[in-house]
Amino acid sequence: MFAMRGIDKRYDAVIACQDAALQVEPGEIRALLGSNGSGKSTMVKILAGTVKPNDGQILIDDEPVTINSGRDSRQLGIATAYQDLSLIPTMTVLDNILLGNEPQGKWGMVDRQKSLDDVTALLDKFHLDCDPDAYVQTLMPSVQSMIEVAKAVFLHPRLLLLDEVTAALHSDEVELVFNVLREVKAQGTAVIYVTHRMSEIFEICDTATIMRSGRTVAHARIDELSLDDIVFHLTGQRPDTETLHEVETFEHDGRDLILDVEHLQLYPKVRDVSFKAYKGEIVGIGGLEGQGQPEFIRTLLGVTQPDGGTIRYMDAPADFRSPADAVRQGIGFISGERNREAMFPDRSVGENIFAGDAAKGALFTFLTARTVRDFAQDAVDKYDIVVGSVDHPASSLSGGNQQKLVVARWIAMAPNLLLLDDPTKGVDIHSRREIHKILRQCAEDGMTVILSSSESEELLDIADRIYLFYEGRVSGMLSGASKTPERLVAAMMGMTRENNGAAREAQSA
Amino acid sequence: MIDIKQTFQRFRRTPAFVGFTLFMAVLILNIIVQGPGQFFSTRSINTLFSKNMPLLLTTMAMAPLLISGVLDISIGIQLALVNVVSIMSYQEWGVSLYVGFLLGILASLAVSALCWVLVSVLRLPGMLASFSLIYIVQGINVLIMDKPQGSIPREFYKTYDSLIGGIVPFSALFLIVVLGIWLYLMRTKFGRNIYAVGGNPRNAFAAGINPAWVQFQAFMIKGTITGLAGICLTLMTASGNPLQGEAYGLRALSACIIGGLGFGGWGSMGCAIFGAGFLVMIQNTVYYFFNLLYRLIPGFQVTSYWQNLVSDIIIFFGLLMTIVTAREQREALKQGFVEQFTGGARDAA
Repeated sequence: MFAMRGIDKRYDAVIACQDAALQVEPGEIRALLGSNGSGKSTMVKILAGTVKPNDGQILIDDEPVTINSGRDSRQLGIATAYQDLSLIPTMTVLDNILLGNEPQGKWGMVDRQKSLDDVTALLDKFHLDCDPDAYVQTLMPSVQSMIEVAKAVFLHPRLLLLDEVTAALHSDEVELVFNVLREVKAQGTAVIYVTHRMSEIFEICDTATIMRSGRTVAHARIDELSLDDIVFHLTGQRPDTETLHEVETFEHDGRDLILDVEHLQLYPKVRDVSFKAYKGEIVGIGGLEGQGQPEFIRTLLGVTQPDGGTIRYMDAPADFRSPADAVRQGIGFISGERNREAMFPDRSVGENIFAGDAAKGALFTFLTARTVRDFAQDAVDKYDIVVGSVDHPASSLSGGNQQKLVVARWIAMAPNLLLLDDPTKGVDIHSRREIHKILRQCAEDGMTVILSSSESEELLDIADRIYLFYEGRVSGMLSGASKTPERLVAAMMGMTRENNGAAREAQSA
Repeated sequence: MIDIKQTFQRFRRTPAFVGFTLFMAVLILNIIVQGPGQFFSTRSINTLFSKNMPLLLTTMAMAPLLISGVLDISIGIQLALVNVVSIMSYQEWGVSLYVGFLLGILASLAVSALCWVLVSVLRLPGMLASFSLIYIVQGINVLIMDKPQGSIPREFYKTYDSLIGGIVPFSALFLIVVLGIWLYLMRTKFGRNIYAVGGNPRNAFAAGINPAWVQFQAFMIKGTITGLAGICLTLMTASGNPLQGEAYGLRALSACIIGGLGFGGWGSMGCAIFGAGFLVMIQNTVYYFFNLLYRLIPGFQVTSYWQNLVSDIIIFFGLLMTIVTAREQREALKQGFVEQFTGGARDAA
């Protein structure tokens, strides 16, 4: 028996897990469910040994154990398969599967024949038709996912952790994985299965633990739960799927169409997205994490080129080769990853604000320190950014003010279309409200704002319309009266008519 | 027949293929320019091995480092360290030269351990840390031996230049021994771990491997092979010089990349051997090509710098070809270069 009790995990001020608990018996497949930032991934990582909890106990057969590394986790009989793969792309299939678990032969050498026999048998079990000596990087993403699962199963663990491993798989491959899971379950392995696909839970899992905001809110047998119950525990909202499948007729009051995206594809994350944004509106993009939202936004910006579909911007095809192209055409981009994608922490506040405007000018334009200062001071006054002086380094500001700084940089350039990717991540409530106020003001002045957010409340607060992404597709578009928390939750969980039907069928079967 | 085809197809996909092709092309060119009769003489082959063994071994020492995702460009000056330690302990302490060689290998291992601390433990960018090591090692060399001096007994360098049984060059023994040990290591767990650590240290750690320990092992192998390369250099020059060999570091690195090794988890010892072989054969070919010109065109006489220019241009095209043909490798190589300068990118990955 594996049990986790009273698990606490904090990253600075952010609480990932709080008094969370999880228990799984041999021969049981337990679903671990939760929406964005609920702490389910943290729980998996704690068991896998890549994250250390601040507090709490892990018990195996009632004995407390400590897991400090991947090695500890393995030695306790725990194997983990991840959605974003723990495979090493430059190694062969065989070496990846056996890594850290090679059969010993003579004189300290690896027994090549036994390796080959074992791996071939394993690949057969998963119906994988691939050369054991092929490099993993040359294989299809779905095959790589299968190998990731096979690798974990090959360790013959007492506890198997599967973290959204089916996200990249086709339905027949999912069925193969399930067959193997039933087999290991019969052999007495405990399985923890993380997924966001409701139909899979009803098909394969015996029990479920549901997390919300770092706490475990429900432990139950699957047959005692209805789909609505699960969604209620996940989100605190009863889902409302009533009118979702109806075609939304949005009144755009004859406003100009700024952005028109048709059937956009970007393998493997974005499968088919059609999207419209009109002048002066705030369009929200919501959904569970990793459903293709960041990839979609970056494709609009020209960071990556789409694999299919069309993007039209201001009535002309948008074929931006790079973000610089997009910026020249009046598109702005604000990322929630401040340190990686937006800030120059060692440069002054003034220079940070001026950076966007500088990017627009010619390379050898003459520039005085005064120009930069005045420009920055204007923005600081206008957007109420708390600074000691515009000459101080940007890293001296608080997280919220840093984000306001980035927002100010772009708004000062008055773009036609502003893209924001989770701009209020880790930003305090006050700054968040300020940013919302600024965005609202900009929209009223005619700017089109597209805002992706992992928080449903934020979207309901500020967006005129909300597109919900599910597995690289738009699972719903909410506007006006249909913009309710209940419908948002339903679309976020992919409970469209087809998917929902499948889940309910699986539940009743 | 099908089997041969399959084996070839498999070989085509291995990282060593590009290096092998380049090497074979230059080898054939060399044989044509020099004339088969002359090329295949035991004397010419012996010279080829004995003069180029230090470069070949240095490149082979670099390979395990690159595979495990680290780098040491001070490897060239470390040959001189082995050289001065061997000569001075023989000359000043009166120990046997065998003991001197052993001390030389120990010195090279010590410097390798220092480089490991800088690169794997303190996580300094490999390119910069080992660049500074060049000057530290140079200083140590000069402290040990202030000016070029010393000599080794006649029987040592005579043996090095001799042919075993009149056929196999003695210097080739070094290659055979190192290659044999390496092939054994590749069949142990270490052979898997080194690729895992180079390919993705985080995932390797999650699989229960200690990346720093594996990199330490790689550094120790590198130290040993560097020691052997230094011994070859001593046997070849038969004297001591504290400031020689620095260029071997960067030449070994370029040989590795031409041979198809990437920064971390990609490539094999074969890449290193073919890469070094390519460099050697190019220089050889250009030398004989110019000799041919002198004979064919009466009165044609240029300095040897022209030979270097021509061979370096060809090497440059070789590098270009490796990078252009291995399309998927290009990004990884670029990323690897950045990592070796910044050090930080590895943590972010």
